[in-house]
Amino acid sequence: MDLLEGNLELKEIQKLEGHTDRVWSVAWNPATGAAGIPAMFASCSGDKTVRIWQQTPSARCSASFECKAVLEETHNRTVRSCAWSPSGKLLATASFDATTAIWEHIGDDFECVSTLEGHENEVKSVSWNASGSLLATCSRDKSVWIWEVQPGNEFECVAVLQGHTQDVKMVKWHPFMDVLFSCSYDNTVKVWAEDGDTDDWHCVQTLGEPNNGHTSTVWALSFNSTGDKMVTCSDDLTLKIWETDSRIPQETDGYMPWRHLSTLTGYHDRTIFSVHWSSEGVIASGAADDAIRLFIENKDGLDMPEGR
Amino acid sequence: MDSKPANPKPLEDIFDSSVNLEETHFQEGYKDGFNDGLVLGKQEGREVGLKLGFEVGEELGFYRGCVDVWNAANRVDSSCFSSRVQKNIRQMEELIEKYPFLDPENESVQEIMDALRSKFRAISATLSLKLEYDGYPKSTDVKDLEF
Repeated sequence: MDLLEGNLELKEIQKLEGHTDRVWSVAWNPATGAAGIPAMFASCSGDKTVRIWQQTPSARCSASFECKAVLEETHNRTVRSCAWSPSGKLLATASFDATTAIWEHIGDDFECVSTLEGHENEVKSVSWNASGSLLATCSRDKSVWIWEVQPGNEFECVAVLQGHTQDVKMVKWHPFMDVLFSCSYDNTVKVWAEDGDTDDWHCVQTLGEPNNGHTSTVWALSFNSTGDKMVTCSDDLTLKIWETDSRIPQETDGYMPWRHLSTLTGYHDRTIFSVHWSSEGVIASGAADDAIRLFIENKDGLDMPEGR
Repeated sequence: MDSKPANPKPLEDIFDSSVNLEETHFQEGYKDGFNDGLVLGKQEGREVGLKLGFEVGEELGFYRGCVDVWNAANRVDSSCFSSRVQKNIRQMEELIEKYPFLDPENESVQEIMDALRSKFRAISATLSLKLEYDGYPKSTDVKDLEF
């Protein structure tokens, strides 16, 4: 496989301007970028807006993205993160104004169809489950909320999950199971699952220092494409790989616990804020040392060509 | 004490009673302090108990009132709340009934109160109610009665 042989290199192909304050996060629309549909992504910013960018089908350049829409006049403060529903029709935007807005993508337009309130302060992250029926949000108020999508773009609050003892930085659903993961300033990753079909969600596992977990704020987590491994990154300057049993859990059996597999140390010397496991098996990490590093698993462990 | 000149006993006595005097004063002082403390402690305890009891009672009363209003709305129009909201209201009611009013040292008091606050926030969020309990419920627009 030539990923291992070749020299991976990151090359900037375009710089997009428009936002008037820092851009916190971007998200690709999962229903675009293939089958002739031009790639689209959303970016959210401290300027309180979200911009939608789309690739123009251009003959020469491989990528020329332009801004198709600006979603504004809704949030009163920084928009911290955004996430597309699996169908690509809805975009959820999480803001420091303690609300999460839901935008519907109809034709070329985006309309704010709902606002989810309830968090006491800054919402840090938002995530859709695999089927798009559930949405999770988390906040500096230490809680994680789960919402269910109802017909007509109505949202019902299913659960308010308390358990973290500090600011929750990110939430992410497992790629195909309705199991929710959250990571926090309290150095732990928590796993939340529902008891049958009862709306009774509780924390089924906490990955902290006793489990070989991080020793400082966990900023982000990401799953591999098969959902049996996860990578987390932290202020403790490491990336950690976790795994679970790859057998699909039975319906009746309890939950499959996660265990620490490996720790990647020494690659960043500042807080690692962001990590993502691509569908092709490359882990990308971004840190305060201004570096982006790419990792691939070799037979024994993780290997690392790099980019900057 | 062994080596004392002239009158060992009286000297010893004098020394002893000096030492004893300090000891006696200490004991008396301790006793006075303890007794005063007992009285003040009870008084303060009562005040704290009243204050906390009032706060807990007020918050529970608030949730009881909300549940009663929601139940009334439900009786008028049983389709006004989704089944999830109805279930949450029922669960809230059970929690209120389960609260050990007469046993403040029961360990579950904090747990039940936290669960109640959680349920209340979940129901309010779903109903888009901007109602919060912060000691004195503010007047708000209760949107759930108009569908």
